Amino acid sequence: MGKFSLRLVWLALLGGVSAGLANDAVIEGTVRLNKPPVAAPPSAQRYQAGSVQPAPPPPSPMAVVYLEGTFPAPATNPPTVRLGQMKLQFETALLPVQKGTLVEFPNTDDVYHNVFSYSKTKRFDLGRYLKDEKPAAQRFDQPGVVNLYCEIHEHMRGVILVLDTPYFTKTDTNGVFRLENLPAGKFTLKAWLNEKTPPYSLPVELAPGAKLRVDLPGQ
Amino acid sequence: MLSLFPAAPAPAADLYSLHAHLENKLHYQSPSGWFRTKLGGLLDLEGYTIDQRPPGLLFSRHDFLFNPRLSLFLDTQFGSHFYSLVQVRFDRGFDPGVMPDGDIRFDEYLLRWTPFDDARLNVQVGKFATVFGNWVPRHDSWQNPLITAPLAYENVTTISDGAAPASPAAFLARRSTPDAKGAWLPVLWGPVYASGGSVFGSVEKFDYAFDFKNASLSSHPFVWDATDLGWENPVVSGRVGHRPNAAWNVGASFSYGAYLLPSAAATLPAGKGRGDYRQITVGQDVSFAWHHWQVWAEAIASRFEVPNVGDADTLTYFIEARYKIAPNLFAAARWNQQFFDKVPDGAGGRQRWDQDLWRMDLALGYRFNRHVQVKVQYSYSHQHGPLQQGEQLLATQVTLKF
Repeated sequence: MGKFSLRLVWLALLGGVSAGLANDAVIEGTVRLNKPPVAAPPSAQRYQAGSVQPAPPPPSPMAVVYLEGTFPAPATNPPTVRLGQMKLQFETALLPVQKGTLVEFPNTDDVYHNVFSYSKTKRFDLGRYLKDEKPAAQRFDQPGVVNLYCEIHEHMRGVILVLDTPYFTKTDTNGVFRLENLPAGKFTLKAWLNEKTPPYSLPVELAPGAKLRVDLPGQ
Repeated sequence: MLSLFPAAPAPAADLYSLHAHLENKLHYQSPSGWFRTKLGGLLDLEGYTIDQRPPGLLFSRHDFLFNPRLSLFLDTQFGSHFYSLVQVRFDRGFDPGVMPDGDIRFDEYLLRWTPFDDARLNVQVGKFATVFGNWVPRHDSWQNPLITAPLAYENVTTISDGAAPASPAAFLARRSTPDAKGAWLPVLWGPVYASGGSVFGSVEKFDYAFDFKNASLSSHPFVWDATDLGWENPVVSGRVGHRPNAAWNVGASFSYGAYLLPSAAATLPAGKGRGDYRQITVGQDVSFAWHHWQVWAEAIASRFEVPNVGDADTLTYFIEARYKIAPNLFAAARWNQQFFDKVPDGAGGRQRWDQDLWRMDLALGYRFNRHVQVKVQYSYSHQHGPLQQGEQLLATQVTLKF
């Protein structure tokens, strides 16, 4: 191997190291969440034919925190994500996914569910599937909000937030979040709570290896 | 750290957002969540193009009937064991066109007690739909894949409840005249919102429901209130159901009780009372759902004990299917038939007491969103006899749900 080739290898290694360094920034903090509902609205189970099951309590609110900017297009589709129906609720009421993600909707209850969405971002109706069947997975290839409902259980509500960024996370029920492996650069940090609340938005500049602490909204 | 600012709020001017906003505004709960109440409703605008004479429970002398209807539902939960419902309707009568100048009614009001944390036992009193059969859970305009009810729930027979027929010949003569809908009865009058009490529940894969009401399945809506008709001659109905899995639901129903009104007492044979003439009904229902298909079927046999005539039996059934063609678009079809048995004609023979008939209902429905739906239905029916009523019907229904 000649001197020129050795130099190329050294430069590639150096680039790899610096690229690794560029994706190690962290933003952590809290998002002020909406107050959780005390109880679900009374369910309209007016007629007694069939199984009458009390509606479970509504899920606690959470938020999605993501970095908005210009990122290279991914070489492959994001990994498949699962959003099941369990105990007459969606497994999670808020699911952030990257644009292009395939989402599966398994039913783990003994009763039917019929997940559907009339949202402009993604319109679909899975139909009714038994517990051991596999409904058709849906690919979410447009950024935006997808409101999910169950045709059978009116209290079931879910949201898939389709994002045009690979850098996102979901807070816990206290609003705490941590975004890791972020690239260096100038971006906008956003926190999405629900369709009624405008997202919190904050311009940020990340240096390689930076660790920012952000509370949204700020004082 | 740079400045923090909220992004501009997205305009929420579209109709869907308006409905979603309204939905949230019409819900109230106490700080502890013990008291929760929600006002919901259905606004229906219906148009019927009628091939005179009108079929079923449509009341109109014209070729076109416009029928607006506002149904308001107040669902209230008191803690986790008490629930109440009040349904008020503003329309042109319980059946389209029966009160052309408009009407306001309390169609349902009930209080339900659920003593356990599961659904094994519910006790309910008030004015509410029958437990018979499998059509009631989808009888409102949003849930019903079609616009009209199955034949069993709306085809008016020649049975009357206000007066006894004078003779078998007089009873049989009714077959040849158009339905006297104000005086005659179907097997079930729609959802039968009669008054009384009910016990029902679900234990694992089994359902049960029994009710004790003031009026029969076939009774006119104007006697459903407890103030209109008491419980001197009560009607008992019930249904037991089995759900082997989520796809299937099979059930058997019965109903037993007097169907004549107090006004008929004076026309009864000597020594007989209203309680001596009963409507006895049994039914079997099955439903199946899988992927984008939903199928329902019901077979109902009913006997009316008719003063001065004898037992008038009828058998009716329907098979109904709904298929979702696309997320917003569905098609529905229903095949209905009704057969009438023979009764003594008073001259030593026996004759059918009404005309057998069949009807095919076809519908297309489109849901613009979770709040707006439009349906179009075409029906073709045929009676085995010289008299046809509503051979063809074209109906349109726009529903706003909130």
